[in-house]
Amino acid sequence: MRADLLLRAHKLGYTQGKRLILDDISFELKRAQITTIIGPNGAGKSTLTNIVNGLIDNFNGEVERMPGLRIGYLPQKVYVNRLMPLSVDRLLQLTQPASEEEIVYALMQTEVGYLRRRQVHSLSEGELKRVLLARTTLGKPDLLVLDEPTAGVDVSGEIRMYELIGELRDQLQCAVLLVSHDLHLVMSQTDQVLCLNRHLCCSGLPDSVSQHPEYLALFGQQTADSIAIYAHHHDHEHDVSGDHAEHRHD
Amino acid sequence: MTEWLDDFLVRSVIAGLIMVAIAAPMGCLMVWQRLAFLSDTLGHAAVLGVALGLLLEVKPLFGVLAVALLIVFSLSRVSSFNSALSETTLAIISHTGLAGGIILVGLLPAHTVNLEAILFGDLLATTRTDLIGLLLTTILLLFLLMHHWRSFVAVSVSREIAQAEGIKVRKVQFLMYIMIALLVAVMMKVMGVLLIAAMLVIPTSSARLFSRNPEQMVLISGLYGLGALAGGVTSSFHFDWQTGPAIVVCATVLLLLTLAITHLKKPDLD
Repeated sequence: MRADLLLRAHKLGYTQGKRLILDDISFELKRAQITTIIGPNGAGKSTLTNIVNGLIDNFNGEVERMPGLRIGYLPQKVYVNRLMPLSVDRLLQLTQPASEEEIVYALMQTEVGYLRRRQVHSLSEGELKRVLLARTTLGKPDLLVLDEPTAGVDVSGEIRMYELIGELRDQLQCAVLLVSHDLHLVMSQTDQVLCLNRHLCCSGLPDSVSQHPEYLALFGQQTADSIAIYAHHHDHEHDVSGDHAEHRHD
Repeated sequence: MTEWLDDFLVRSVIAGLIMVAIAAPMGCLMVWQRLAFLSDTLGHAAVLGVALGLLLEVKPLFGVLAVALLIVFSLSRVSSFNSALSETTLAIISHTGLAGGIILVGLLPAHTVNLEAILFGDLLATTRTDLIGLLLTTILLLFLLMHHWRSFVAVSVSREIAQAEGIKVRKVQFLMYIMIALLVAVMMKVMGVLLIAAMLVIPTSSARLFSRNPEQMVLISGLYGLGALAGGVTSSFHFDWQTGPAIVVCATVLLLLTLAITHLKKPDLD
């Protein structure tokens, strides 16, 4: 693998029982690049991230990882059992030890240094997301996998969160794989977009994806307008189940 | 050199101390991972193990260990990565084990088995051999705990994060199950099969009220365990109460006292 190539996914597929969740998905993750997976609910976004971070191993196709690839993972939801006492600085050392300076620095980067001594159970959802984001940066990760890092965060917090992710990428020079619902907010920070609806509808630079007919079919004109002006033409559409449907010309 | 071990009270206190030392960390992990009910299941099924051991004329402890390991092996095959063990499954195993064990015990000649000691423990009857077994198992368990502590805690917080960041969650989980089986086999002698879970859950619940970190909770529950042991053995000696139940009652009294005090003071943990 080339030096800046951290992970290569080739023709990934995943079925659950008889249900096809993912089909024929190929992409590459490169150092210092932010890749955003967008797609509607049930598109297989979390399944795809779980294949990348090793939680799912019975998939079809190939995932080639750089040897010794270090992943920092921010799951969509973390429920800490209330019977477990856990301070923020202990949470930051969950999978590896870290010095006091490293912990302070990591929390400062996501602007939550003041939470260091708090109990995890007392944090708001937005605070917890930032703490968990800080946690992923410890241990010199090569790749951050962030599954909807802004779920439960208010809109202004959301924009700041994406900026922070961009800053972290610049500092750590790591790849970022981001799952998001809102391309219009992520776009300025994103280098590569994977538009997913069980198969890869389209992928590439944010500008080109936002003009792609499949993207428009999934997210509609309005969202696209908030990103760019484009020339409209469809080649196929999706029905509710996500399968290709015959396109009806008007 | 070891004449001091001739005193039954000394032996039972040492056995109690060893049990407290291992019950604190194991109890915390099991509470965090919602596995406390598993120890109850293994405890109940241990009656079957004891009876089988006696029937096959091997040491009852080996019977208990065999049954416990069989159960955790089967459970680890049916439990998936994300789901906790089903309470229904555990209840079925638990009560079938207990019922089957009681029937088998009934078939044995009356003098070969002391059902009460199996059910409620018999700390004061701890022999030197018991003590050696208890000590060696505890050392093994403490070694495994120290070696894998970060992984155990990480898995308790988030299996997903642990797995993604290089911890082999399934292996850790399986190791935990085996350790619980060993723990139950060891604690049975002291606490009795019906009361093992109490010793894993009650001191940890008291400790939760004060602790800010997982490690702190282990230490504090160890202290509560010591308190319960001291109170239990003393009252058992003076009032001729059964030791296991006396320890449990003392642990609960300590918990209630702690709750009352913390409620009055309303400490702000954050």
